[in-house]
Amino acid sequence: MKKYLSILTLAGAVLFSSCSDQLDRFPVDQLVEETAFQTVSDLQLGLAGAIGNYNPNNFVEFNSIFTDNCGLGVDNGGQELNTLNQILNPAGGDRGIWVSHYSTMNDFNRLFASAATITPASSEVAQYNNILAQAHAFRALMHYELLLYYGFDMTDPSAPGVPVVDFVSADAFPTRNTTGEVLTFIQDELDNALSLFPAGTSDINFATPDFVTFLRARIALETGDNAGAIGFATQIINNYSLATPAQYFGMFNEDDDTTEVIWKYDSVQGFNLGLHFIWNFTGPGPFIEMSDELGELYEASDIRRSVNIDPTSTPADNIYIVGKYPPNADTQAINDFKAMRVSEAYLIRAEAYAKSSQFPQAAGDVLAVRTARNPAGSVSPYATLSQAIDDILLERRLELSFEGHRYNDLKRLRSITNSGIERQASDCEGAIPCTLAVNAAEWIFPLPLTETNANSNIQQAPNY
Amino acid sequence: MKLKLTWLMTLFMAFVMQLSFAQEKTVTGTVTSAEDALPLPGVSVIVKGTTRGVQTDFDGNYSIRASEGEILVFSFIGLKTTERPVGSGSTINLSMAEDLAELETVVITGYRGATNASEITSSLSTVSAESIEQVPINSVDQLLQGQAAGVNVNTASGQPGQSATIIIRGRASLNGDIEPLFIVDGVPVDQDNFRSLNQNDIETMSVLKDAAATAIYGNRGAGGVILITTKTGKKGSGVKVQYRSLYGTAINPQTRFDVMNSQQFLRFQRDLLPGTQFGDGLSDAAINLIALQSNTNWEDIFFRRGKTRSHEVTITTGGETTSSFTSAQYYEQEGITIGSDLKRFSFRNNFNASSRDNKFNFATNLTMNYSTSSFVVDAARGGNTGGQLDNPFIVPYIGLPYMSPYNPDGSINIWGTGPTSGGGSGAFNADGSINGDGANGFLNTPYIALNTAALNTDTESEIKIVGRISGDYNFAKNLTVGASYGLDYTYIESLFINAPNSIRGLITPNPGSEQKGSQFEGFFRNANMIANAFVRYDNDITDKLNINVAVFGEYNYTNTQNAGFTASGLNPALPGSGAGFAPGDLTEGEDNDVYNYIPTVFSSESELALGSLFATLDMDWDGRYGISASIRRDATSRFVQNREGTFWSVSGRWNIDNEAFMDNVDWVSTLKLRASYGVVGNQTVGSRYQALQTVNSGPGYQNASAYQLGALVDPAIQWETSNQANIGLSFGFWQNRLTGELDFYNNETTDLFAARPLSVSGTGATSVQTNVGDLVNKGIDIQLSYDLLRKSDTNPWSIRLNANANYNKNEVTSLPGGFTGNTLRIAEGRQAFTWFLERWAGVNPANGEPLYLDADGNITNVYSVDNRVYLDKNFDPTYTGGFGADITYKGFSFNCLFSFQADRWRNNSSLAIIEDAGLAGFANQSTSMLNAWTTPGQVTDIPALSFGGLRAVDGDRYLEDASFLRLRNVSLSYNVDRKVLEQTKLFSGVRVFVQATNLFTWTKFRGFDPEGTGATGFFDYPVPRTFTLGFDLTF
Repeated sequence: MKKYLSILTLAGAVLFSSCSDQLDRFPVDQLVEETAFQTVSDLQLGLAGAIGNYNPNNFVEFNSIFTDNCGLGVDNGGQELNTLNQILNPAGGDRGIWVSHYSTMNDFNRLFASAATITPASSEVAQYNNILAQAHAFRALMHYELLLYYGFDMTDPSAPGVPVVDFVSADAFPTRNTTGEVLTFIQDELDNALSLFPAGTSDINFATPDFVTFLRARIALETGDNAGAIGFATQIINNYSLATPAQYFGMFNEDDDTTEVIWKYDSVQGFNLGLHFIWNFTGPGPFIEMSDELGELYEASDIRRSVNIDPTSTPADNIYIVGKYPPNADTQAINDFKAMRVSEAYLIRAEAYAKSSQFPQAAGDVLAVRTARNPAGSVSPYATLSQAIDDILLERRLELSFEGHRYNDLKRLRSITNSGIERQASDCEGAIPCTLAVNAAEWIFPLPLTETNANSNIQQAPNY
Repeated sequence: MKLKLTWLMTLFMAFVMQLSFAQEKTVTGTVTSAEDALPLPGVSVIVKGTTRGVQTDFDGNYSIRASEGEILVFSFIGLKTTERPVGSGSTINLSMAEDLAELETVVITGYRGATNASEITSSLSTVSAESIEQVPINSVDQLLQGQAAGVNVNTASGQPGQSATIIIRGRASLNGDIEPLFIVDGVPVDQDNFRSLNQNDIETMSVLKDAAATAIYGNRGAGGVILITTKTGKKGSGVKVQYRSLYGTAINPQTRFDVMNSQQFLRFQRDLLPGTQFGDGLSDAAINLIALQSNTNWEDIFFRRGKTRSHEVTITTGGETTSSFTSAQYYEQEGITIGSDLKRFSFRNNFNASSRDNKFNFATNLTMNYSTSSFVVDAARGGNTGGQLDNPFIVPYIGLPYMSPYNPDGSINIWGTGPTSGGGSGAFNADGSINGDGANGFLNTPYIALNTAALNTDTESEIKIVGRISGDYNFAKNLTVGASYGLDYTYIESLFINAPNSIRGLITPNPGSEQKGSQFEGFFRNANMIANAFVRYDNDITDKLNINVAVFGEYNYTNTQNAGFTASGLNPALPGSGAGFAPGDLTEGEDNDVYNYIPTVFSSESELALGSLFATLDMDWDGRYGISASIRRDATSRFVQNREGTFWSVSGRWNIDNEAFMDNVDWVSTLKLRASYGVVGNQTVGSRYQALQTVNSGPGYQNASAYQLGALVDPAIQWETSNQANIGLSFGFWQNRLTGELDFYNNETTDLFAARPLSVSGTGATSVQTNVGDLVNKGIDIQLSYDLLRKSDTNPWSIRLNANANYNKNEVTSLPGGFTGNTLRIAEGRQAFTWFLERWAGVNPANGEPLYLDADGNITNVYSVDNRVYLDKNFDPTYTGGFGADITYKGFSFNCLFSFQADRWRNNSSLAIIEDAGLAGFANQSTSMLNAWTTPGQVTDIPALSFGGLRAVDGDRYLEDASFLRLRNVSLSYNVDRKVLEQTKLFSGVRVFVQATNLFTWTKFRGFDPEGTGATGFFDYPVPRTFTLGFDLTF
């Protein structure tokens, strides 16, 4: 018996010791984080991953569908009804922007952490610095966008903003920083980016020094720094010219002209934002259409009519199909997102002029944009701020529709226009609301439940 | 004193007398079966009180040395143990009768194999071959529905061969595996794929339900274990050949909703529905004309009678030392819609051999199978939602009745009709050219589905091999060693073709490409290997105490590989061939810079390894008390920091019927109290590399190679732990006329794999999946069987009634964040998957608006997510079970089985579609929509149509009771009388039967089928009703 027991023990021991090697199994198709980043080229791969996770579509979707720029599409089978119905609640109403942005932020933060462990060779320093500069610029951009949508008040530095996150943690529960703190962080990040850009950084598919200036112009406008807005916008305007109608058509319809583009998010075959499909099914057929109101606003002589309204639309039946990001010549609807265009700089400056009571300058900038698109366009002189703002808002609507601005423009200017979202009757039939009040809670994005449930340190937006 | 001495002397003398006169001699005889008078091989013949024993041979003969006055004990499993004193003669022949008291006494348990029921300390259910053979359901897991207490079986679709989802004794995991471990002849197999296996090969299925039975499976046993044992030959039984066949037809289940006909629909569009649609402006005469031409009930077009055919030959052999079972089967089953079928060829050979002294045993089990399946675009297929317009089961709901399924020449129209403005389906422009967008539009739904079924391909071909070799050797007194090696091998080739000349092909790879169509081929291979070795010690320490101890070592390894490609742009002249693929570098477009045909390729591999050491102990005292214990140490490759886990169980029994004080209680035949407690694990949580923070490589910005962080992991992740307690009573009363098992259980899962909420701003992840949370399943299992009539010499009738039921109460006792989910929630203090919805309160008679209850129960006309409440309605059923009867009269037998599930709630989103006025422009509607509110004061369920589509704001309007009672199977068979057979000199058995499967289903659920595996039903492929006729011929 004893003999057998010892044989058994031995057999068991042999079995187990040979097993433990067999139990170390590593994935075949994935890398393990500890060993993934070892060189500057690995960091470059990480940057492509992080920028790839930045998603501008959410803004384009929300700003168009939530507002008066869109209506129910003829082929709607239930798609996008919540946003069209202006349901903005903590249970996913923010279209996942909070989650998407902070998750991407984490990618950049981890990229910084990995970069810190790598010392570039002298031949790699430029590449290494550019990676860091891009990461700083994107972190600034995302903090700005988060502050814009989730912050309580862009113009009040002491108002609750959003958490500044420039660290990697597995269990942090941050609180909201103030608007002022966030803005300071953003400006620091932009300074960092500027100091790291290798000389000659000018690829408009990535952050550039002009990207920094443009973002600063937007921030200045949003924060009420009119002088700053005018200054930064002027820098941009001096460097870029407005597209001609032909160039404008090429920019959107052919996705090839970049005359007036300061920064675009590049779509290529295999990595396509799919902007077209925000409103349309794969073989067109709109589930969301351009609102009748907007469709009627585009004049026949305006090149933006030919671009924004898809040729398959039947205006006679009130069917306006969003055509800004068409299937175009490549048939696959691969369209870049032209995120920063010089025309916006004109309108930023116009608005800043108007708010500084420099009405003729404001009208001049609006006229520049309007006539560039519509040779028949004209501007009546502005006598009051409200007049000026109404006209600038109209021009922004026509010029920047489906580019992620409408909700935000209405929000920023509602204290002057004294109105929220007003849809034309034909655009709000059935359960679709016609009006969002000027003082509605929906002008500040609610934090998603996932954040408030997990993080007791953070403060929900008012009235949610 | 003297007296005492005398007595002692007498006693002494008696001994001496015995010693002197009891001469050992050779006793011989033949043992036969009382039932059919055939010789019984393998009967154990023992001289009582000694260790002398032999077994009967091939012809039932035995020969044993015994002395006059000694007693021979004849025992054989399933037969009544009989004692015969050795008299003066040297021949004892015996006819052994079936032991009604000990009937079905042998059950299959984990690593111990066949065990007498009286020795079982755990809770388990056995399903025998008779109840599953020749039932035309092609997945053995599905066959368990209604068969065993506590086993909840649901099927996602009626596709032939579809695997079921089985939950034993309630959902024990929230995000990990919920299904039991399946073991076929000692080999763990894929729990979701049985379509290639022939269920007629199965001898028994044992469902192991408590820790006493499952802890020995360590970190894989928490969801229960199902042991499938296939048939073997009986030693000494000779050669038996059987041919079995089955012919059948499947039809669609009862339809529990009504859609409009052409007249109704066009009038509805014209008279009731706001907005602009085809019916507007049509005169009564025009509508009548259209309805006269086409009034299509799309059900008639899409459902077909699916044929079932099966041919099978089995050969069993049994020699003196070897036996075998061999089967070969061809099986073919068509689904109830075009393009859905399963064909398979199955082969099995089980071989057993023993040395003459029975000290060495050897067995091989091998099954090799090949099957091909064709699929339709149903809700359970791939990543489908059910809402695909080529789903055949969406068409009976939304297909427009005024469209004709036929071409003018009478053939089926698979393209559609002209422009929508003329009442067509939009597939063609006015000039007769095809319109790619219109052809793929909602109005063209019926034709898309017909087109896909006719022209596109979605098939899988599978090779499935399950095999095992095992041997054991009784190398020393009481000691046995054994080893086995097993393999479950699955190889699946998938083929998916969007034909270039099909409707879907028009937009594939994209609408603008010049060449059309795409072809996907996938190659999936999965191999599970198991190697096991053991030493067993089995000894009767005293005549009352038996000890059985075994120690095992085991290694499981799984390797999965998956690779494939998708090519685009197919030459219609070369269907299915790579020669017809457009070159990947072909460019198109104005500037010749668009690549439409770049093939996509993929290849992946993953592994899983599990090393284990475990032991079992079984002790029996006098057949009255028993204790069993098991312990298993598992080390798994899944986890890193917490790799090794220990799982154990202890259990005991008290066979009350064997107590002396029960001797006079005649009406109690069997009475056993059981109790067990143990700890079992569930390692199947998350990915196979859940403990490693991964970085994925793939395309990033500008389609450049990129690294992206995988989901955040907790490196300390480990198995889920299930702490299971069970108390049970096994009973048999009145000569076991009434037998049953009653079990109470309390299973607490701790370390549940669930999301720990994280601040996404702080960490970049909304949550991390880790071991948090607890849940409890408490419940009762009851199984009863009652012999109303037993066959005897005077009574040709036998009637047995049986029933089983389970009550399960599930409660999530701890979950970080309190709840997860939106409208279907997992919430602390409630059953997992409980509905949390706004309450629909009907229609306001004053103005036709939809009404709701607010959170406090007051009527409101405001829909708000703030008004959601817990409805105390759950997706998982509280009650499950089945009942049936087996009746025989002479050669006839009638068997039926009902299955039921109760207190189960599913969201009927299919019905919501046909009561959605927003879709009525292009989708047929329920006839209930004709009752839409129109006039103040009207009381109706349907709001005024001016409110448009209310599907997004319908709250619990379509949350329906999906409880059901189903006549699962009913059969009538006739066995030709033995005397008649003898005259044929060819057959030794002929059985003919007719059978109906899923014949009736009683439910409140308003769709085709309440079953389904999803909480929301959306155009599911219903389980069909199948009628079969078959015969079994034994030679």
